[in-house]
Amino acid sequence: MRKQNNEGQRVTPEQGWTSIHATLDRSRSSMYVAGWTNIMLLWGAIVALGYLSMYTIETLAPVFATDYPWYPGPLWFGLTIPGMIGSSIIGYRASKQNASGPSATAAGLRVFGFWMSVVAAAFIIPAASGLWTADPDRIAISGVGVGIVALGYILFGIMHHLAIALVGLGIAASYYLPTHFAGDAAPVASAVLILAVVVVAWAWIRKSRVA
Amino acid sequence: MSEEPVVLNETIHQSTRLRIMTLLVSLSDSDRVAHGFIQNTLDLTGGNLTIHLRKLEDAGYVNTTKEFLELKPRTWVEATPKGRRAFTEYLGSLERALNKSFR
Repeated sequence: MRKQNNEGQRVTPEQGWTSIHATLDRSRSSMYVAGWTNIMLLWGAIVALGYLSMYTIETLAPVFATDYPWYPGPLWFGLTIPGMIGSSIIGYRASKQNASGPSATAAGLRVFGFWMSVVAAAFIIPAASGLWTADPDRIAISGVGVGIVALGYILFGIMHHLAIALVGLGIAASYYLPTHFAGDAAPVASAVLILAVVVVAWAWIRKSRVA
Repeated sequence: MSEEPVVLNETIHQSTRLRIMTLLVSLSDSDRVAHGFIQNTLDLTGGNLTIHLRKLEDAGYVNTTKEFLELKPRTWVEATPKGRRAFTEYLGSLERALNKSFR
């Protein structure tokens, strides 16, 4: 059976059924991804700033780095707090601009809960694994933390937008490759690469008009 | 005995309007979305969306309201109770049409 509509476009019942399901998936993802591009850019900048700070401290104040080998913990924690506040503000503004009502609020809370769980896991898992000692293995701690955050991006991306999953892979590569191959310049190389990955993904998602 | 032909709601059974209604009805009763959000989500041009929204509004299926948010004009769209009922009935008809075509 075919139906002719006023504008001349033909839709079969099968096409209509498929269209309904595709639209449901797309609108749900769109709700979850709203504001995502700006949040991703913010976190890219925060992570880059973290690595640049570590590089600066190790290069310009090696004594400080030796005396306080646990300094990356407070440094990253200090950067995470404004990141979380900034993400909440961006997410809230985006949801207000795109949708209002219980569905939009529920979507925002789910995304917030997902990312807070990822960030918490990035701190808790290294601690529970016994990596935080008096003489912590900073590379191992960062490696586990970055791995968990990258996994968060990949899982979120698989569900909502391929570009976000690729950002996860990009973040992992931007951290692990310089760590193993760039020697002392690893933090700077990681910072630059992560920022580049995030900016490219930002442009891609904006172009695809999802967020 | 011949079966009655399945009649699909002509206003909804059009590719763009079907997607618009699906998006709006998938939200809860008190939800509304911005014109730009629908445009981006369904990958439509502003003009095309406006034309289809007008048809749906004429049928009483959607409500549009204009508001200023942070000094910028914003058009909000929501499905009306009549639109939700029409969509539910449309889904029933669509299911019957599919059952017929698979028989």
